[in-house]
Amino acid sequence: MDLRIKLIPYEKIKSKDYADVLKDLEEGTILLIDAKLTAAEEAALIEETMKIISDKFSGIELSSMELAHLKEAKGIDKFKNMLVEKILGKKRGLTIIGPAKIVRKIEKNPEDLLLYM
Amino acid sequence: MVIRHIRRIKNKFASIVRSIFRKKKDVKIGLYGPVNSGKTTLANKICMDWLGEELGKASSIPHETREVMVKEKVTVRDNGKSLTFNLVDTPGIATKIDFEDFLKFGMKRKDAKQRAKEATRGVIESIKWLDSMDMVLVVLDSTKSPINQVNITILGNLDARNIPVLIVSNKIDVKRSDTTRIRNAFHGYDVIGVSAKNGDMMNEMYKMLLKKI
Repeated sequence: MDLRIKLIPYEKIKSKDYADVLKDLEEGTILLIDAKLTAAEEAALIEETMKIISDKFSGIELSSMELAHLKEAKGIDKFKNMLVEKILGKKRGLTIIGPAKIVRKIEKNPEDLLLYM
Repeated sequence: MVIRHIRRIKNKFASIVRSIFRKKKDVKIGLYGPVNSGKTTLANKICMDWLGEELGKASSIPHETREVMVKEKVTVRDNGKSLTFNLVDTPGIATKIDFEDFLKFGMKRKDAKQRAKEATRGVIESIKWLDSMDMVLVVLDSTKSPINQVNITILGNLDARNIPVLIVSNKIDVKRSDTTRIRNAFHGYDVIGVSAKNGDMMNEMYKMLLKKI
């Protein structure tokens, strides 16, 4: 099977529109999201995934990271970042969600995410 | 250091607010963590120490606990201080559950599929119970790397709800155990290393628990 990677907007997760996300994961697509998910969104996604686990779909590997330079920002830079994120309505970063049958492990490093397949 | 102080102040404030409403309801202390970190072994140890009876069955097969189990009115005492609470043992949280993993433990295919099905429900149940907790002991296996999405998601959700957390670095009796790795990974959290199996450091854990709530 060809490896499929799809970039989806964060708004899909934010609006709790999980149907397409779960369908893609069930079909073996790795999803990239243009933001860091909140803890509540991660938990909601785990919950939704658990509902569709079957013999063929065993769940997901998930990792979400905030951009390192934003995380380490201090003082006025930190304030500026907070303001930008407030306006954007999302935490700047990256999330990778992969079907567990394809993505064995995601290693989270301070500045990158490494997928083992 | 600063983060730790801010977290302490935040938790103290949340604890004061909670204590105002606590009189009306029972205090719930939850045991959360990934699969096979020793939550039920710890729950059993706490129940044995203070009630003289166990809570549930612990096993090396993943997802042994597939339903939330509650032991009511556990009273922990130390140095004149005491706390009575309902101890809530939750199924381990996971992002994937493969029935084939259970086959490796000699389980029949049909049973493995059933166990996987129940385990998925258990994960959902664990997440749903988060909102009703007054404090949580996050039980981690100190022989494994603590940086994984499940641990990060659990701690993130507890933080977002301002629920006081004590990280229990379990299995310190095992040679490759490394509590320092957990401390380094989760700055700002109180961490105590214990062996729920042997009872090592349990008194220290009770002291920390009484301080936190």
